[in-house]
Amino acid sequence: MAIFSILLSSSASLSPPASLVLELPVTSLPSSQCTAISVYTNWEKHALLGSDVRLSCSFFSWHWTSSEVTFSWSYRADGAKESTTIFHYTNGAPYIGTKGPFKDRLDFVGNPNRRDGSILIRNVDYNDNGTFTCDAKNPPDIMGHSSNVRLLVFEKVPVQAGVITGAIIGVVLGVLILVVAIYYLMRFLVARRVFSLSMSRHGKKGKGKEGSQQRQASGHLPPP
Amino acid sequence: MLILLAAIFLLHLACIAVLLAATIHNAWWMTNTTSIDIWDWWVWGDGKWNNTEIPSHYPQAYLQAVQATSVLACIFCILGLFVFVAQLYTLPKGKRFLFTGAFQLLAWLCIMIAASIYTDIFHRDEKGWYGASFILAWISVCLTFISCVTYFILRKKTA
Repeated sequence: MAIFSILLSSSASLSPPASLVLELPVTSLPSSQCTAISVYTNWEKHALLGSDVRLSCSFFSWHWTSSEVTFSWSYRADGAKESTTIFHYTNGAPYIGTKGPFKDRLDFVGNPNRRDGSILIRNVDYNDNGTFTCDAKNPPDIMGHSSNVRLLVFEKVPVQAGVITGAIIGVVLGVLILVVAIYYLMRFLVARRVFSLSMSRHGKKGKGKEGSQQRQASGHLPPP
Repeated sequence: MLILLAAIFLLHLACIAVLLAATIHNAWWMTNTTSIDIWDWWVWGDGKWNNTEIPSHYPQAYLQAVQATSVLACIFCILGLFVFVAQLYTLPKGKRFLFTGAFQLLAWLCIMIAASIYTDIFHRDEKGWYGASFILAWISVCLTFISCVTYFILRKKTA
């Protein structure tokens, strides 16, 4: 029987898919399904100098989350050629690397039962700029790609292109439209009030005239 | 009378053209190899102009304020042209073109704010010279002011 699997794309952010699900038709073996695990992280993470940044990692797998699920985080600094493992979760316990740039600053804040293998890095510095790789395995689902997230540390939050421009233009045009609308509304209301006043005055005069006309007309009726 | 009307209309068109040129063309500040502001940085290299990223130390907030106010000046000037044509037909005789004058006044305010911010904040101690767009921006300050005053004085011809 042939098994087809669906193509999944990364849900973390506007980014190319972090991994693909392979499709393999299996003809004679009913029990072994060759599907792959897909790992999701952000594409980029921006952090202010000295703040705490949470690097999230989760995965999708066709199997139930087993008790032997493993998460592995490795770090490659900007400009470095090799990456070092900084965190590993296996057999239900997290293991934080005792040597390395993050030894006292790394906390495990994920929930492996919920397929979340996120870590928290405290007090980020410019030296922490680099690429973090998350690799998750859910036995028997062990084939798949890992996912990278790039950490960028800023001194202050950079102003996004066009935000202030759009805000100024929008506010000024909005205020202008509001002023013009209020002006025309006031003119309309004043005109209506003047109109209704003149109508009531005209109505009283008109009734008086009509009444006298009726009396005159009845006076002119020929006697039967 | 018709000549006066045509001259005022042409003045307004000239304001729009100068404002658009100043806003769109990226040549507020020039050096031997660069032509920059207010939207992009262009660097001359390998026989052609290359678009480069704005450096991070550049005052982004002020640049965006200059962008916003110069765009607003263009919008108000173009709207003012339509309002002028509308008022030509709807205004009672003997009245002034106040609505059009108001739009031109706003356009003058906006482009003056843009040119002033740019002159005061950017490139205070650098080598180079002010480009064509900068000069056109200040020229449009004068033109829009003249146009605004004209509309405030002008009266529709009585029969």
